[in-house]
Amino acid sequence: MVREQVVRVDELSRHFGDKVAVDRVSFDIARSEVFGFLGPNGAGKTTTIKMLTTLLPPTSGRATVLGHDLKTEGRKIRAQIGVVQQQDSFDQGLNVETSMDIYGLIWNVPKAERRRRIDELIGHFEMEEFRKMPTVDLSAGQRRRLQVAREFIHDMDLLFLDEPTVGLDPIVRRSVLDYLKERVRQGLTIFFTTHILEEAEYLCNRIAVINQGRIVQIDTPENLKRRFGSAKAVEFKLLQGTSSEMASALSSSPSVSRFGRDEGSGAYRVTTSRPESVIPEIYRLADRLSLTVSSIYISETTLEDAFINLVTEDEKAVANGGRSV
Amino acid sequence: MRLVYRNIRANLDRASLFFELIFPLFFIFVQGFGLNGIVPPFDVGNGRVISYSLFLAAGAVTLTVINGGTNAGTQLWFDRKNGMFEQLLMGPFTRAQYILSIIFATLIIGVAGSLLVFGFAFPVLGASFAPTWEGALLIAGALFLGTMFFGAFAIALSVVLKSSETFQIVSTFAFFIFLFTSSVFFPASAAPSAIQAASLANPLTYTTDIFRAGLFNAVTSTVSLELGVLAIEAVAMFVIAVFAFRRIRV
Repeated sequence: MVREQVVRVDELSRHFGDKVAVDRVSFDIARSEVFGFLGPNGAGKTTTIKMLTTLLPPTSGRATVLGHDLKTEGRKIRAQIGVVQQQDSFDQGLNVETSMDIYGLIWNVPKAERRRRIDELIGHFEMEEFRKMPTVDLSAGQRRRLQVAREFIHDMDLLFLDEPTVGLDPIVRRSVLDYLKERVRQGLTIFFTTHILEEAEYLCNRIAVINQGRIVQIDTPENLKRRFGSAKAVEFKLLQGTSSEMASALSSSPSVSRFGRDEGSGAYRVTTSRPESVIPEIYRLADRLSLTVSSIYISETTLEDAFINLVTEDEKAVANGGRSV
Repeated sequence: MRLVYRNIRANLDRASLFFELIFPLFFIFVQGFGLNGIVPPFDVGNGRVISYSLFLAAGAVTLTVINGGTNAGTQLWFDRKNGMFEQLLMGPFTRAQYILSIIFATLIIGVAGSLLVFGFAFPVLGASFAPTWEGALLIAGALFLGTMFFGAFAIALSVVLKSSETFQIVSTFAFFIFLFTSSVFFPASAAPSAIQAASLANPLTYTTDIFRAGLFNAVTSTVSLELGVLAIEAVAMFVIAVFAFRRIRV
């Protein structure tokens, strides 16, 4: 079954004078999809969001959001979207509850419905203890929680989240992500940027990696890891603790791209694209040096590995005058 | 109107509003009475002779117009500083609606402030207050246009200036100039020639003169001309504010 395309972006660009912030990006987002948009700082993520939310006009290219043309139907688009910006946004003269209430009012949510949703969101986002606190007195994490929760006071079909979990502790972060998942199951579509790649992996159906204004790759998290996350980590411990001879031999091995030791756990960590040859080598060395390997395991490649590889390769390609895609 | 309500609730500091109210009352009850003994009563037009305390009381009411203007700039600065400016523009509103909401909020605050100050000053003004329909319309027109001018002026200023601190300093200085080249404290005709010339371009002069004419039933043939000049200045400043506002980078 072909899913409805909620966002269609075709060769969209944005220039600031001579600087190209976003360079001919193209992608589609289907209904009820969580589309991750990952990239280093200054890659063009926020500029893309600002264009798709009609805050910034594109320099060139076309896009439709929820079936409306980006250039001519901005108001219709804005009426159906929600946005959690990267930067703080709060009404400084209000407390948490009133701030949510007035935000609902400006979105024309009826009063009774506002009351119901405020209670529900305050419960979901665990904000009861600072419900009556002025927004200026909130901690960064509390303010962030309010900013995300507040956006759900109104109805929307598409939600843009620009690094929504910055400053949240891991427990709150997980509950926010689970809440987002629940809303996606109910039909919401999400455009999501983050620097925390575990949460992108947890939440996103597909991920676009953007670097220097251009999309380097779009795929599912699994495929990105499989295709670009070549390096794996082999972690092992020695019964004897440490061995400078072992460390020296592995550091100079051609199969090893990175070698180090975690002082906390005492484990050696070998980053390699060929664990099948590194593991026998570790045992051969241990045997020769009369050491005992007490534990050894291969950690799976992570999205972070894939992301770093993709961006690093793209940087090299740009430096050499060509690009990977 | 939803945005207007939000602007009033979210961006206005109660302590600032209190002091904006105290400021004109200080002029009415301290300076007015203090100078009343040494300034003889004089004609404000149409043969209406009033005391200096009455003259100053009427002028002080129009000070709220300037305070309302400062509020407009402050609202915009708070929204930019707190990220609400962009948040609202990504919501179901246009830029034009946003700027109009600030102007309307400013008008409500300006007019409500004037009425409050007027209410407090009524014991002083009451003796010579001669209400007529024509006068009431003139008062409403003066407060509306004056607030619109100073609101738009503060918005334009807050767009041009790069920090809220600079905005506070420059707007205070600018409003100080407007204040002392107007007829709030003394009739423009009694001022040195340079100040007289400046007062002719100063919308606060017209706001105050029209307000006094309406309040004391001292309407002369020049009032309609003053109303026309004030309307042109208010509309021109509004257009400038809209153009300046469009330049804000997000």
